[in-house]
Amino acid sequence: MGKKKTLNYAKYGYIFSIPFVVAYLIFSFYPIINTFLIAFSDLVGPARKDYNFLTGDIFENFKKVLDNPIFKKAFMNTLKLWICNFIPQMVIALLLTAWFTDTRSKVKGQGFFKVVFYMPNIITAATVAILFSTLFGDPVGPMNDLLKTLGFIDKPVKFLTKANVAQNIVIYIQTWMWFGYTMITLISGVIGIDPAIFEAAEMDGSNRFQTFIYITIPCIRTIMLFTLVTSLIGGLNMFDIPKLFIANSGPNYATYTTSVFIQSKAFEGRNLRNEAAAASLIMFVIIVICSAALFYIMRDKDEAEARKLRKQALKQAKLASKGV
Amino acid sequence: MKKFVAGLLAFCMMAGLVTACGKKEDGAVETVEKKDTVKTDDGKIVINLWSFTDEVPKMVDKYIELHPEFGEKYEVKVSITPTTDGAYQPALDTALTGGGADSPDMFCAEAAFVLKYTQGDMSMYAAPYSDLGIDVDKDIADAQIAPYSVDIGTRTADGKVVALGYQATGGAFIYRRSIAKDVFGTDDPAAIADEIGSGSQNWDKFYEAAAKLKENGTPIISGDGDIWHAIENSSEAGWVADDTLVIDGKREAFIDISKDLTDNGWSNQTQDWTEAWYADMAGTSETPCFGFFGPAWLINYTMGEHCDNTYGDWAVCPPPVGFFWGGTWVIANAASSDEVKAGVGELIRWITLDTSETGLQYMWANGTLNGEGGTKDSVASNTVMAKSNGELEFLGGQNMFDVFVPANEYANGKNLTQYDEKINSIWRDQVRQYTAGEATRDEAIENFKTGVAGELGLAV
Amino acid sequence: MASNGKVKLSSGAQKLETARLVFIYVVCVILTVLCLAPFWIMLVNSTRSSASIQEHAISFIPSKYLMDNWSKVLKQSFNPFTGFKNSIIVSTCSTALAVYFSSLTAYAISVYEWKLKNAFFSFIVGVMMIPSQVTMIGFYQMAYKFGWNNQLFALFLPAIASPMMVFFMRQYLQGALSHEIIQSARIDGAGEFYTFNKIVLPIMKPAIATQAIFSFVSSWNRLFEPMVLISADEKKTLPMMVSLLKGDTYKQEFGCIYLGLFLTVLPLIIVYLLLSRYIVAGVALGSVKG
Repeated sequence: MGKKKTLNYAKYGYIFSIPFVVAYLIFSFYPIINTFLIAFSDLVGPARKDYNFLTGDIFENFKKVLDNPIFKKAFMNTLKLWICNFIPQMVIALLLTAWFTDTRSKVKGQGFFKVVFYMPNIITAATVAILFSTLFGDPVGPMNDLLKTLGFIDKPVKFLTKANVAQNIVIYIQTWMWFGYTMITLISGVIGIDPAIFEAAEMDGSNRFQTFIYITIPCIRTIMLFTLVTSLIGGLNMFDIPKLFIANSGPNYATYTTSVFIQSKAFEGRNLRNEAAAASLIMFVIIVICSAALFYIMRDKDEAEARKLRKQALKQAKLASKGV
Repeated sequence: MKKFVAGLLAFCMMAGLVTACGKKEDGAVETVEKKDTVKTDDGKIVINLWSFTDEVPKMVDKYIELHPEFGEKYEVKVSITPTTDGAYQPALDTALTGGGADSPDMFCAEAAFVLKYTQGDMSMYAAPYSDLGIDVDKDIADAQIAPYSVDIGTRTADGKVVALGYQATGGAFIYRRSIAKDVFGTDDPAAIADEIGSGSQNWDKFYEAAAKLKENGTPIISGDGDIWHAIENSSEAGWVADDTLVIDGKREAFIDISKDLTDNGWSNQTQDWTEAWYADMAGTSETPCFGFFGPAWLINYTMGEHCDNTYGDWAVCPPPVGFFWGGTWVIANAASSDEVKAGVGELIRWITLDTSETGLQYMWANGTLNGEGGTKDSVASNTVMAKSNGELEFLGGQNMFDVFVPANEYANGKNLTQYDEKINSIWRDQVRQYTAGEATRDEAIENFKTGVAGELGLAV
Repeated sequence: MASNGKVKLSSGAQKLETARLVFIYVVCVILTVLCLAPFWIMLVNSTRSSASIQEHAISFIPSKYLMDNWSKVLKQSFNPFTGFKNSIIVSTCSTALAVYFSSLTAYAISVYEWKLKNAFFSFIVGVMMIPSQVTMIGFYQMAYKFGWNNQLFALFLPAIASPMMVFFMRQYLQGALSHEIIQSARIDGAGEFYTFNKIVLPIMKPAIATQAIFSFVSSWNRLFEPMVLISADEKKTLPMMVSLLKGDTYKQEFGCIYLGLFLTVLPLIIVYLLLSRYIVAGVALGSVKG
């Protein structure tokens, strides 16, 4: 795929980016700058619009957040909730992808399954939260009723006061809501692979498993990277379900995430907006570092090599042209 | 990435340019930027009314219906944002501080967060009732408004009344007559009051009654949430003093009471506002509980809606300790122009202080706001209740005002802080942890302190 | 495809094959039940009375209170038609804007060679990672300052800049677009803008469809942001109205709440099913190698 240099068309690159840039500047730039400034200020309380920058220790808000046991807990929760839902989600999605893209035997009705598996994603988080807190209600609730009928318990279980149960429910909900999305994205990636590659593999006598591990997965690496990065960003910003499911924080902060921390700092209680802003910048830095690490680990070595060569060639060409 | 960092740097430089440092004036009450009068195309003055239910908006409709001349002069634009999804306060705060044509001129606040708007961080946006053309001291005296309600509505910075309610939410113990007959041999409120130790200021007799009921297989209450309001309101101190957490002994005792209720099987361990709690009201749970702690609104709006099977099987008696639960206060925006304030004042006076038979409270108390036979409620003015009929079929014909008028006197409006909503939710969560055996008592209290410090930045 | 030239399987292998298929179907059916159950519960509960939901929150047999709930819903401040209209405006506009301008931006990044291209792309990847919670404070303040509150456009115009979607579209274009097509269009004398609209957009159709679903769903379900910005009744969206149903301080009309929830999700189901053929077909994207 040799890209042709189209220098005379370069201006269109700028022109076509204008709407994005303008919209971004209008709607997001000011709020982000605002957040950045507030993180270094004394802005506390819902009513104030004006604020003074901290004069003593300018990183005071950041230190407060990093020292805050609740923030630490929220961070560990966020990480745990994300990893524990991402792994099963990826496993299920990969398995389904392997089944649904298998060229040797087609799973009948897979169109139906694909459509259905994305369905949980279209229900509002608020609805999901209501459904699940009803499901695990106590002393009466469908789950308690079921376990009682089956004879597993004789006294209602207080599911929602148990930290690990609450966490597992959130993990389940997240997996359930997103495995279809991940599956669709992965399938898109597999469809993009040249069928000839699979044919060749089959000719060589590799079995399904080998084909999937040695051909499919390496070929959809960029898509997996995309999934991983978007899921990381989404996961570390996890908000809706933890917020709406069991009154903000769950039993003893079991489902309290950093985004809930930020939101509750900014809009509830004392409206400690400076600390909320600092916490969101901290999360931003963490996400950038993690994403960069992912990009680095999963980088395409050949591609990187090729790019380097191209850059060098370009430089030499430039030098050459200057020389003339 | 390198380029990205460069971008970030540029970003910071831009930030430097936008810097705006303001100064805060040190005075009793901060003044707020005035907003202009907004008029409709046909020249009516617009009043923006913000609420979290349709209760106050419906009252305003009624006022306009009764006073057409008001409707000719003013146009009331209503905005309802429920509190359940946590958006009402952020929306209200942003609208008040943002100002502009759509910002509220009159707004409602619930007991859980009213302090923020009357005494706390947002109190500068509350206009004193005296600025609205209301002779507030005389009117309060004439109407005999329950003292706790006035205490809550009085701004501490300048001692002016900035908010009042239309309901009085002093609480009672609401119990099942049939169960009372089975266990105590009588359903007479005076006798039951004696059994549960009404007005005794402690829980000893209540515990005895609970034990007696337990023998009959009946829990005395549905969940610990029912008793919490009584305990919260009976404490001497509020949660916060001088930016430091205060744990009043009576509030701390809640953790033990809650544990006792659970361990002895004296409650059904429900949480308020869940299906199981309603089932206890409706008498459809496995072992329906004996009673609930609550104000008149709990009877008329909540239980009335959920108790088809147990209708008429209820009665009220005074609680062991006085308390109030809930209520709505009405506030005027200090930023509104004088002509708008005049209109708002007229509405607020009619809602909170008018004791005549055409005043809101008389209709509210007698259930005649939307025609005869409507829902009756306990109201803020004792004067009104004295001349109203509080007999309810739901209570087997008992006159609820006999209990609720004194109940409002015992309620305390001085042990609240503007952070109660948050702190209460942390406290209740930790108490549940202890009661459910997930944490020891010390752990629960330690976690509570950590939570308050972490979420609110208060010293503990 | 090599489906016709299949190797004959031995009987043992065939058994294994059947077992494998059975396993696949069992898993898929279980997942299907898990995925569809909430929809069924919502539907059933919207036909039940609040009292019976209180007793048993979940039932799989519909009851006969649908009309009852419907009239109760209408009696409250719930106006499904206004809500529907506003939700449609906001979701359609934000989806259309997001999809179109993200494609355009992605096109600019992946087709043209310009100086700031890489920096711009890094910027997009960077802002994609900014947590959205706290930038909201600034956005609300700004919206009120400029009088954008109670304006539906404040809810959909920001969609023009959707970094995540640009990122996806760019990945797609890298694989799906061949420069020969653009070149030949240029030779035919087509303008750049024309080429994008008439040639590139159709190529991107599958990616646009999937992204459109994702974007429509998320904008339809947005709740907190509209609740802070919209106070006028005639501008409220459907989820806001459901929130009003739930927000009655005194009582919970469970039947009505479920009906409201179901009404909210119904249009989404329809839109989704309309666009779902693209999901079935699958969007080819990314690394075409060879």
